[in-house]
Amino acid sequence: MKPALLILAFVWTFFSFGGCSRSTADDSRRIVIWHQMRPDERDLLQRQIDRYMKSHPGTTVVQLYMETETLRSGFVTGSIAGQGPDLVYGPSDPIGVYEVTKTIVPLENLVPPGFLADFDSSGQVWYKGHLYQLADKIGNHLALVYNKKYVTRPPATDQELISLCRRIQDKYGYTANRPNVYGLAWNYTEPFFFIPFYTGFGGWVFDADGLTPSLDNPSMVRALNYVRELRDVYKIIPGESDYEIADALFKDGKTAMLINGDWSWAGYREKGIDIGVAPLPLIVETGRWCAPMTSPKGYSVNANVRKEKMPLVMDVLEYLLSKENQAETARALNTAPTRHSVYRDSDIRDNEILQNSLLQIQRGRPMPVVPEMRAIWDAMRPSYQAVMGGAKTPEQAARDMQHLAERKIRDMME
Amino acid sequence: MYTRRDRLFVAFLVIPSFVLLGAVVIYPFIYNLILSFGNMNLTRIRDWQLVGVRQYVKILTEPTQPDFYEIFLKTVIWTVVNVVFHVVLGVFLALLLNQKLRGKAVYRTLLIIPWAIPQYIVALTWRGMFNYEYGAINVILTKYLNLPAVEWLKSPTEAFLACILTNIWLGFPFMMVVALGALQSIPSELYEAADIDGATWYHKLTRVTLPLIRPVMIPAVTLGIIWTFNSLNIVWLVTNTGEPSDKTHILVSFVYKAAFNFYNFSQAAALSIFIFVILLALSLFFMRRSRATEAAY
Repeated sequence: MKPALLILAFVWTFFSFGGCSRSTADDSRRIVIWHQMRPDERDLLQRQIDRYMKSHPGTTVVQLYMETETLRSGFVTGSIAGQGPDLVYGPSDPIGVYEVTKTIVPLENLVPPGFLADFDSSGQVWYKGHLYQLADKIGNHLALVYNKKYVTRPPATDQELISLCRRIQDKYGYTANRPNVYGLAWNYTEPFFFIPFYTGFGGWVFDADGLTPSLDNPSMVRALNYVRELRDVYKIIPGESDYEIADALFKDGKTAMLINGDWSWAGYREKGIDIGVAPLPLIVETGRWCAPMTSPKGYSVNANVRKEKMPLVMDVLEYLLSKENQAETARALNTAPTRHSVYRDSDIRDNEILQNSLLQIQRGRPMPVVPEMRAIWDAMRPSYQAVMGGAKTPEQAARDMQHLAERKIRDMME
Repeated sequence: MYTRRDRLFVAFLVIPSFVLLGAVVIYPFIYNLILSFGNMNLTRIRDWQLVGVRQYVKILTEPTQPDFYEIFLKTVIWTVVNVVFHVVLGVFLALLLNQKLRGKAVYRTLLIIPWAIPQYIVALTWRGMFNYEYGAINVILTKYLNLPAVEWLKSPTEAFLACILTNIWLGFPFMMVVALGALQSIPSELYEAADIDGATWYHKLTRVTLPLIRPVMIPAVTLGIIWTFNSLNIVWLVTNTGEPSDKTHILVSFVYKAAFNFYNFSQAAALSIFIFVILLALSLFFMRRSRATEAAY
């Protein structure tokens, strides 16, 4: 064999593996953000990123959308493997998981002195004595969204809600025993959307210690019964409804009201629907408000960010959380900002949707950030769905939820 | 006689493939095996230790949510039903397409469409079609066939059936294409000889066609079993991650959930080893019993 052939083989081998290594030449000026923002949020973020890149030539900021679950698991596994984005954006509930897995870093010593002074305490996520997330939005909460074409005055209590739904359904008639316009819809496959009913009947997912599951109790049984009654007795919600169905029904004008989060409202306005937002109603039987879980949505920094890159990452973070960007976001998306100075903006003060949203936040309860919360969701989901599918009684479901949550926490901690 | 330089050259050519195989198959497999003897979960993700066969014992003896044996049974049903329908439908359609037909190219193209569409889109489209109130399936059942609407995605059996229907639709074109290729390679003289002997259509099918397409179909069926057994997308997306109540899981979707939703990596690794052993045994048994490697002619 000729030496030239051998050299060729070497060269080929060399280039075969060239693609396996990660190019690091431009990494120091390239910031990657992973998030789970919806399309309108993404567009706005991109506009803000574009402005940053224009004023910082040579720096590239890349945003990458991921579905919520994929984002969380992908970030944890990626970060443990020494990879992942520089910034991860989302609601605060996985902060406990990120902390346990040591995939994010404390921020209190990385932000400039005085930077936090303008931030509301609800926009700073402290866990085990460290600041792990800085939010640009407070809320991520559910509220009652209504189409003004059908609803002139939103219901304040559950009884008003039921009678209003019935009036609307009767007014627009039925086809094959199905209302042409439903009174209300929401995603009743996900326990996150069930929480307002649970709190409305006096329940909360943890005991006073904030760690022991509290799912097997009369409040849970009553709340499960109640949701089922809304469908099977009062017949004011669709027979089957996940997020997409509920969303499509509202967009198509086939439901007058919807329980959905602040992330969705701007999309409905863009669709040309004249919407109003109201706090979730009071449960007359208990005298309690339906309280959704609230949580800030913001940025955390990957533990793999190198020391020399950190100043740039923090610069981008500070820019994204700036007063101007928060005000722009609040105006465009009706989301509650985290900086006090933004609330002085007249556009924010006079925004009816935003003010009702803030009222709902006040009536809500912060979502726990402990890793045990993960077990709560995973334990609630199957039994909640089984109740709605008729496979379990509420009593059995409550028992199973509690049992499963305790076992999952035990498994998690073993 | 190879010289040292020849051997060196061969080594240079194969080393990249070996290294790649090692990186993407051998290393992950060994790592997975080690992980299955460990206790890596959310709280021990960085400082996990080897704990012996604890994960295996736990899977087999402690009731998991959902139950391992229930998932295993579902996986077997899922695989058998799907592969049987894929093969029967695929061979049947291939036999039809192998006849002289007008517009054969059009039929062939239409029948391959399920295979050509990305699985993700297929699964989500079918999920929409199975909706109780607005899905196309129930509209057809109630409006045109005067049958009651089925709560496809609300109860475990119907939801599982919905997954099977979707996967049957998705999977038969592969078997059809393979069978069609095998049918076209059968010499026409064999059919002529059978005609002279007075063979009926049934005799020609059972004595000529099926034995001669067997060597091609057996590896395809084996592949089909492995793919179907390990088919995550359809179950995951049609039932929205195992809904309702995590009752529609097959083994592979539960492994995914255990690892990436529950962060129970060692349990997921142990389950993966179960899947590997089952598939290995199944493939060996199937290949030996069917004598797929024997020549047909």
